[in-house]
Amino acid sequence: MDKKVVTFSGVVKEFDGFKALNDLSFSINEGGLYGLIGPNGAGKSTAIRIMTGLIKATEGEVDILGYKPQDADVRPLVGYMPQEMALYQDLTVRENLEFFGKLYSISKKDLKKRIADLLDFVELSKWDKTIIANLSGGMKHRTSLAVALLSKPRLLILDEPTVGVDPELRASFWQRFEDMRADGTTILLTTHYMDEARRCEKIGLINHGRLIAEGTPKELLILTGTHNLEDAFLSLARRKKEAKS
Amino acid sequence: MKLSRALAVTKKQFLTIRHDKRTLAMMLLSPVMAMLIFGFAFGTSPKHLQVIVVNNDKGGLASEYINKMDHDVLSISTSSDVSVSKDKVSSGDKIATIIFGSSFTADASPTKSGITPRGPIITPAKGAHINVYLDTTNQQLSSVVSQSIAKGGQDLAKSKGSKSGVSVDVSYAFEKAKDARYIDFFVPGIMAFAITLFTTLLTLLAFVGERVTGTFDRLRVTPATETEIVIGYEIAFGIIAAIQGALILTVALLVYNIMVVGSIALAMLFVILVAIDAQAIGILISAAAQRESQAVQFLPFIIFPIFLLSGIFVAVKSLPLWLQPFSYLLPPTWGIDALRDVMLRGWGLEHLWPHILILAGFAVVFTILAIFGLKRSRNQ
Ligand SMILES: Nc1ncnc2c1ncn2[C@@H]1O[C@H](COP(=O)(O)OP(=O)(O)O)[C@@H](O)[C@H]1O
Ligand SMILES: [Mg+2]
Repeated sequence: MDKKVVTFSGVVKEFDGFKALNDLSFSINEGGLYGLIGPNGAGKSTAIRIMTGLIKATEGEVDILGYKPQDADVRPLVGYMPQEMALYQDLTVRENLEFFGKLYSISKKDLKKRIADLLDFVELSKWDKTIIANLSGGMKHRTSLAVALLSKPRLLILDEPTVGVDPELRASFWQRFEDMRADGTTILLTTHYMDEARRCEKIGLINHGRLIAEGTPKELLILTGTHNLEDAFLSLARRKKEAKS
Repeated sequence: MKLSRALAVTKKQFLTIRHDKRTLAMMLLSPVMAMLIFGFAFGTSPKHLQVIVVNNDKGGLASEYINKMDHDVLSISTSSDVSVSKDKVSSGDKIATIIFGSSFTADASPTKSGITPRGPIITPAKGAHINVYLDTTNQQLSSVVSQSIAKGGQDLAKSKGSKSGVSVDVSYAFEKAKDARYIDFFVPGIMAFAITLFTTLLTLLAFVGERVTGTFDRLRVTPATETEIVIGYEIAFGIIAAIQGALILTVALLVYNIMVVGSIALAMLFVILVAIDAQAIGILISAAAQRESQAVQFLPFIIFPIFLLSGIFVAVKSLPLWLQPFSYLLPPTWGIDALRDVMLRGWGLEHLWPHILILAGFAVVFTILAIFGLKRSRNQ
């Protein structure tokens, strides 16, 4: 059996009585590229915040690489790119990377090399001395991705990494995700662009805090008899509603 | 706890400031501006000033004098021991000791010896006099005490139909501070106030900024602990406060020629302690603000209590009794008290270690609360 990197079982998350996650269960295999797909407000970011230990599940079990999400030992193993840009606007690209690198206690020499590699990877080597506030949106996104990769994480969690990103950059992002996967990194990403999800190895469709379907993009199309994932989602969401009433 | 990570936070904060010219300007200009504006402000008239009367008078005139003094302004206790009473002034418990000699009544009466001087040599009657041992380090209070004593003497003379009043021999509990002006008394208060305001504001905005931009979440998924983050911020703001304190002292010395009897280094220590308390308060408050604009709305709640209660304008001891406990819950109250003791009385660690403990105690409690507050958000 495949080794699991992320396991959610029966996770419920309540905010003041409102269930943002309602009995959510899914798992991600090592080396996988898993897409958590759903409309705005479906609970994607909430699931991610639980995974990264930023908030706690109200009920249910979560396992990340054999640890509880809030175990400090798991933190160096997980890279997180938040939905917001989450960079220090008044620091340069390099200063942001150096700061977060130091928080991972990466030695000075290693950090220098690591930053050089990452700047190369996200094609920002020439912009390293520019403060974030002066970068274009795409460059900010790339810096944010570089920060998430600093610790060479085994699990990379990306919350809507391609929102507001132009098509060219989006294509290059997907190329990068595939490169990282080839290096053995497990990737979980969320998006509400259904169309984009076909590039994932496996998809979990999430709506109202529940997983409504899971499988490869092809399996979901066959299951619903549709030609694109957007229609597949709509069809599944409708079925769920009918089943309820 | 890894110091390298804490220091990384410290350094990051300075880098932020370097690129943010407006914050930098605000940080350096506002303490100077505050000094210039508030230097001209005035306080209110104090009440219930603690003085001791040592009445050794064999006659009854001293008692009459004491009755003539304004008992609303002066809160008078009596003692028979001059040196114990003086010590109470030197230790800061009381503002003045008023001593009536055994011959006070006799000196005041014109026919005291029964012998009328003859001839051209007339020895003037010595007249009635009292000794006042006065603490002038709080100008506001000591001037009111002096006035009340003088007024009592005038009223007494008037009621007796006498032209000559009672002469007052003043000796100073703090010799070096005998020429202290109002501004000398005022500057320590402004220092502590300015540092508290700016440090609280800067920390508040920095933390709300971290939350709003999402960098705070990013910090928390790294191995950095809440403790390291808070300590890192404390070091950064401690250094900033020291620079601000140095600027305030420089302006005070150059522009106002302020009196510093004690150690400047000790004064700086108190400035830094006040700043550390202030930044922990800033972090605590930041939990209640979602955006920078909300954070700014907390300002009046920081400014006014400190302004009114911490002894900047109105001495804590002359506040209504029910208000005084609130004063002692504000760290600046202790900072201002200690700064005055250092700068005007010239007191050192031997007197002021309790102030250090109290301010450090506030810092520890507020820091723990701030860290706890940050940690708690993980349990949401
Ligand atoms: N801290 C919170 N307090 C209250 N409600 C929240 C909180 N975080 C998220 N929610 C609610 O939970 C639901 C799911 O939000 P989220 O996980 O951000 O959705 P997604 O990322 O899929 O767009 C939304 O209805 C949102 O309003
Ligand atoms: Mg989201």
